[in-house]
Amino acid sequence: MTRLPILKMVLAVIVFGTVQSVILLQFNWFGDEASTAAKPIDTLLDVTIIISSFIFAIVCVALGYALIKWRAKPGDESDGLPIHGNTRLEIIWTIIPVIIVLGLAGYSWAVLDDIEKTDSNALHINAYAQQFAWTFGYPEDGNKWSEGELHVPVDRQVIFDLQAQDVIHSFWVPEWRIKKDAVPGLETEVIVTPDKEGTYSLICAELCGLGHTTMRATVVVESEAKYKAWLNKQTTQVPEDILKTTNQYEADQLKKEEQSGGIEGSGVIEQ
Amino acid sequence: MESASIAAHGHVDDHHHGPPEAHQSARIDRTILGILLFILSEVMLFGAFFAAYFFLRVVADPASWPPEGIELPVLIAGINTCILVSSSFTIHYALEAIKHNNHRGLKLGLTTTWLLGATFLFIQINEYIHIGFTPRDGAFGSIFFSLTGLHGAHVFVGLLLLTFANIRAYRGHFGPEQKDHLGVEVPGIYWHFVDIMWIIVFLAVYII
Amino acid sequence: MAAAIRQPGWYRGAIGLVLGAAFGFCLVVGLRLLSGLDAFQTEQTGYPQVIVPLITAPFGFLFGFGAFDYWFRWAAGKPTIPEDHSGHGATKWQDYFKFNTDHKVIGTQYVVTTLFFFLIGGLLALLMRAELAQPGTQIVAANTFNGLFSTHAVVMIFLFIIPVFAGLANYVLPLMIGAPDMAFPRLNALSFWLLPIAGIIFLGSFLAPGGSFDAGWTGYAPLSTGAPLGQTFFNIGVQFAGASSIATALNFLVTIITMRAPGMNLWRMPLLVWANLSTSLLVVGATPFVAGAQFMVFFDRILGMNFFNFLEGGDVISYQHIFWFYSHPAVYIMMLPGFGIISEIISTHARKPVFGYRLMALALIGIVVLSYSVWAHHMFVAGMFSWLRVPIMITTMLIAVPTGIKVFSWLGTLFYGKIHTYSTAMLFALAFIITFTVGGISGVMLGMIPIDIHVSDTYFVVAHIHFVLFGGSVFTIFAGIYHWFPKMTGRMYDERLGRIHFWGTLVGTWMTFIPMHWIGMDGMPRRVADYASQYGDWNLLISVSAFVLGAVQLVFLYNMIVSWRFGPKAGPNPWRANSIEWQVSSPPPVFNFDEIPRVVGGPYEYGTPGARHAIMGGEGEGAEVPETKPSTVTVPS
Ligand code: HEA
Ligand code: HEA
Ligand code: CUA
Ligand SMILES: [Cu+2]
Repeated sequence: MTRLPILKMVLAVIVFGTVQSVILLQFNWFGDEASTAAKPIDTLLDVTIIISSFIFAIVCVALGYALIKWRAKPGDESDGLPIHGNTRLEIIWTIIPVIIVLGLAGYSWAVLDDIEKTDSNALHINAYAQQFAWTFGYPEDGNKWSEGELHVPVDRQVIFDLQAQDVIHSFWVPEWRIKKDAVPGLETEVIVTPDKEGTYSLICAELCGLGHTTMRATVVVESEAKYKAWLNKQTTQVPEDILKTTNQYEADQLKKEEQSGGIEGSGVIEQ
Repeated sequence: MESASIAAHGHVDDHHHGPPEAHQSARIDRTILGILLFILSEVMLFGAFFAAYFFLRVVADPASWPPEGIELPVLIAGINTCILVSSSFTIHYALEAIKHNNHRGLKLGLTTTWLLGATFLFIQINEYIHIGFTPRDGAFGSIFFSLTGLHGAHVFVGLLLLTFANIRAYRGHFGPEQKDHLGVEVPGIYWHFVDIMWIIVFLAVYII
Repeated sequence: MAAAIRQPGWYRGAIGLVLGAAFGFCLVVGLRLLSGLDAFQTEQTGYPQVIVPLITAPFGFLFGFGAFDYWFRWAAGKPTIPEDHSGHGATKWQDYFKFNTDHKVIGTQYVVTTLFFFLIGGLLALLMRAELAQPGTQIVAANTFNGLFSTHAVVMIFLFIIPVFAGLANYVLPLMIGAPDMAFPRLNALSFWLLPIAGIIFLGSFLAPGGSFDAGWTGYAPLSTGAPLGQTFFNIGVQFAGASSIATALNFLVTIITMRAPGMNLWRMPLLVWANLSTSLLVVGATPFVAGAQFMVFFDRILGMNFFNFLEGGDVISYQHIFWFYSHPAVYIMMLPGFGIISEIISTHARKPVFGYRLMALALIGIVVLSYSVWAHHMFVAGMFSWLRVPIMITTMLIAVPTGIKVFSWLGTLFYGKIHTYSTAMLFALAFIITFTVGGISGVMLGMIPIDIHVSDTYFVVAHIHFVLFGGSVFTIFAGIYHWFPKMTGRMYDERLGRIHFWGTLVGTWMTFIPMHWIGMDGMPRRVADYASQYGDWNLLISVSAFVLGAVQLVFLYNMIVSWRFGPKAGPNPWRANSIEWQVSSPPPVFNFDEIPRVVGGPYEYGTPGARHAIMGGEGEGAEVPETKPSTVTVPS
C-alpha cells in the first residue's frame, strides 16, 4: 500500500482554493457601497468567501482524489480496507471547524457592533410603511412630511424609526447594506450613515401582499444644504392614512405609560 | 412466497402462520411508549400556546393583566382543580384494583373518574358562559380561552378514552396481567397528563 | 352493492365524505340560523360554511374508508375481528388503493404519492420561472404569483420532502432492524391517508374565492390573519400534514426502540436507522409548534381572536418565534433522513465501513440538540430582541461542525475503498456531498448577522434554500429511490437513463440556482413578480435552466414507470449490501421474515472476511455462529 500523498492533496487544495478565491473576489458581489456600514460588511464577506473557497476546495479535492485513486475496475468484486475510523482525524475535523466558525462569529459580532454604534448628533427620521407605500416624517426639522421620497444629508448618521401601519414590511436600501423590518405595534430602528451622494431605491423586502413587488421609494442622499432646502418645501400636514392606525396605537401606548407612572414624550408624531 | 393466498380476501389457508413475533428489544411496552411520546408532543403543543402567553403578557407588556374590569373566578376554578386532581387518584385506584384482579374496584374507580372529569368539564363550560368576556376581547381573551379551551379539549378526549375503558370494564374485560389492562393503564397515563397540565394552566392563567 | 357499501373501502369512503361535508355544512348553517344570523358568512376571513365541512369531510371519508373500524370495535368492547391479515400486503395494483397496513405497501404508497406532488410543485415552480424569465408581467398577475410560490413551497415541503423520507424509511426501516412491521400498523396507514387529504386541501385553495393562500409558506401574521379564504385552507392542511408526520415519527420511534432484532444494540443500527431516530425526535418535539402557530392564525381569522392583532394587545413577532421554533428544526427533518440514506449508499458502493460510525451517530444527535436553539436566525432583521441575535448566530454557525463531521466522514469512507460508480444511486450520493456543501456554506454566511442583514429576503436566500433542499434533500431522495428501487419492485431500473437523469439534474441544479446567489447579493428581493431590468439576463438563464431541469425529471419518471413493469429481475441483493433488507427476497415476503433474524455484527463490515451483520432465520440451523468482531485497522500514514 502506498503512503497517502497528503502533500499532493494539500497542494491541490491550495491551488484550487486560491484560484477560486481570486476568481470570486473579482466580482463586486454586493454592488455599490454608499454607507459607512458597507465597507466592514463587504470585507467580512470577502473574508468569508476566501475561507469558504478553501473549505469547498478541501471537499472537492478529497472527493476527486478518492474517485481517481480508488475507483473500482469493472468486475472487481473485492472490498475496500476495513477501516472503521481514526480518532485523531475525527478530532481534527471537529476542532478545526469549531475554531473557524467561532472566529467568523467573533468577527461578525465585532462588525455588528461597529455598524450599530449610534452617534449623539444622529438625525432622527420616522419611516412609515403601509400597503404599499412609504411615508417619511422629519420631526427634528420642523415636522415635515414626504411621501414616496426620502431625502437625507450625506455623512451624518441617520436613525430611522420604523412603524408599520398594517402588516410587516421591511426597509432595505441595498447600497447601504442595511435592512430592518417595520413591524406593526413595535418600533424598530435602522442606523445608517450614508457617505455617498446619489439616488437610490428603498425596497420593501418583506412580503406584504399584492403590491409588495412595487413597494419602493426613492432615496436621495445629498449635501446638508440641499437637504435643508428640499425639506423647506415639504408640507407639515400629517398624511391622512398614517393617522388612522397610529393614533389608536398611540392612545394605547399613552394609557400604558400613564398607568405605569411616568409619561414620556410619545416621539412618534410630534404635533 | 406463500403470501399470495393470504392477502386477498381474508382467506386463511392451513400453512398460514402470520408474521413472526417481533423481538422485544426494550423492556417498555410498545403502547405505553407510544402514549408517552404522544404526550411529549402534546406538551409541545401546549408549549406553543405558553410561548404565545409569554409574548402577550411579558413581551407585549400590557398595562394590566388581566385587563381592568376582568375578575377571574379563582375560587371556582380552584374547586374545579381539586375535582380534577382527585380524579387522578381514583384512576390510580382503578388501575391498582385491576392489578389485584378486583373488578368491582376497577369499575368503581373508572366510573368515579369519569364522573369527576365530566363535572370538571361541566363547571368549566359554565364558567365560560358566566365569565363576562369573550375570546374576541383583547389578547387576554384570546390566550385565556385558547389555553383553557385547549385543555378542555384534552379533558374531552380523556373522557372519551375513559368511556371506552368503562364500557369494556362493565363488559368484563381486563385482567391483572399488564397486557390485559393496557386499556386502563394507557387512558390513565393520559389522564394524569391532562391533570398535571391543568395545574400548570391554572397556575399560569388564574394565579400568577 | 349493499355489501360493498358496508365494507370499508371507496364506496363507503365516498359516502362518508359526503355525509361528513353535509354534517359540517348543516351544523354551521343551522347554528347560524338558530342564532338569528345570515345562513352564509362571506367575509374573506370567515366562510365557516366552507371551513367546517373542510374539517369534517376528511374525517367522514376516513371513517368510511375504514381507518377507524378496528378501533371502534375495540372501543365499544366488542370482540375484535381476529386478525386475518387481509389488510396486509399487495398482490394486485388495487391493493395499493386500500387502507393497507403493510409497511411495504404504505412505503410504496408514500413514495408514489409524494413524487406526484413533486411534479405538481415543480410545475408550479416552472410557472413561476416563466413569469420571471423577463422583467415585466408575462403570464400571471402579482397576486397569482404570490400564490404560486406559496403553494410551490408548501407542496414541496409538506407533501414531498418530509413525507417521501417517511415513505422510504417506512419501506426499509422495519426490514433493516429485523421487525415484521411497524409498531402500530393501523396508525401507519392512517398517517399515509392523511397526506392526500392535506394535498387536496392545499391545492383546493386555488378554487377558493380570492385565490390560493399567498402569504408565503411562512404565512407571517398579520398578513395571513387578514388574507382571503385560501389562507384558512393552509391553516387546516398543515394540521393534517403535521398530524401525519407526528404519527409516523411516533411509530418510527417505538419501532426502533422496541422492535429491533436480537443482537442489534444501538451501535449496530445502520445509520439510516439512527437518522430516522433523530428525525423523529425532531418531529415529535417541534411539529406541534407549527400546529400551534397555525391554530392561532386560524383562531384570529375565524373566531376574531387577537393573538397577532397589535391594536388589541397582540404581539406580531410571536408568530415568527413560534413558527420558526418548528420550521428551523423542520429543515433538519428534511435533511437528516437524507444523511442516513447517503451513509448507506456510500458505504455499500465504496465497499467499506462507514468512517467513524459512532461519531456519525453522535453528530446526528448533536444536530438534533443544536437545531432547537437556532430558530431565531430567520429573524435577524425582524425586530426581535436584539440581545438574542449573537447567541443565535453562534449556535447557528456551530451546526456547521456536526454537519462537517458527516461530510468529512463520508469522504473518509471513500478513501481506500473500492468505489463503484455504475449505480445512479452512488452518483447522486457523491454529487450530493459537493452540492450540499455549497448550500451549507451559504447557510453559514446567512448565519453571520452582518451578511444576513444585507441578503436576508433576497434571492441569496432562495439560492440557499434550493441548494440545501434540491441539491441536498432531493439528491438524497433520488439516490434512495434508485438504491432501493430493486428492493421495492424486484426489478432493475435502466442505468443509462439513470445517468442521463443524473447529469441533467446536476447541471440543471447548478445552472438554475448558482446565479441566484449573485442576483440576490446584488439587490434582487425574493417573492417579487417583477424586478429591475438589470437582472433580466440572469433570470432568463435561470428560467431556461429550470425548464431543462424540469424536463430531465420526465426521464426519471419514464425510467421508473417502465422499469417497474418491464425491468430485468433484480434478485435479492444486487448491490451486495450487508444490511438485513438485502438478505430477503425482492420484493420482500408479506411478513418480511419467517423467523426474526439474529444480528451478530455491525452493519458495514465490508472488507472483513467472514464478517456478518445478521444471521437469517433457518440459516445454519442449530450451529453457533460466532459474533463478528470488527477488525481494527487504522489509517496507514
Ligand atoms: C434542507 C434544508 C436546510 C438545511 C440543511 C439548512 C442548513 C442551514 N441553514 Fe438554512 N434554510 C432553509 C433550509 C435549510 N437550511 C430554508 C428552507 C430557509 C428559508 C426559509 C424561508 O425564509 O423561506 C433557510 C434559511 C436560512 C437562514 C435565514 C436566512 C434569512 O431568511 O435571512 C439562515 C441564517 O442563518 C440559514 C442558515 C443555515 C445554516 C447555518 C445551515 C447549516 O445546517 C449548514 C451546515 C452545513 C455546512 C456548513 C456544510 C458542510 C460542512 C463542512 C464542509 C464543514 C466545514 C464548514 C465550515 C467550517 C463552515 N438558513
Ligand atoms: C423541497 C423543496 C423545493 C424544491 C424541490 C424546489 C424546486 C424548485 N424551485 Fe423552489 N422554493 C422552495 C422549495 C423548493 N423548491 C421554497 C421553500 C421556496 C420559498 C417560498 C417562499 O418564499 O415562501 C421556494 C421558492 C422558489 C423561488 C422563489 C420565489 C420567490 O421568492 O419569488 C423560485 C424562483 O425561481 C423557485 C424555483 C424552483 C425551481 C425552478 C425548482 C425546480 O427544481 C423544479 C424542477 C421542476 C420539476 C421537478 C417539474 C417536473 C415536472 C414537469 C416537467 C411536468 C410534469 C407534470 C405533471 C405530470 C403533473 N422556488
Ligand atoms: Cu411592503 Cu413588501
Ligand atoms: Cu433555519
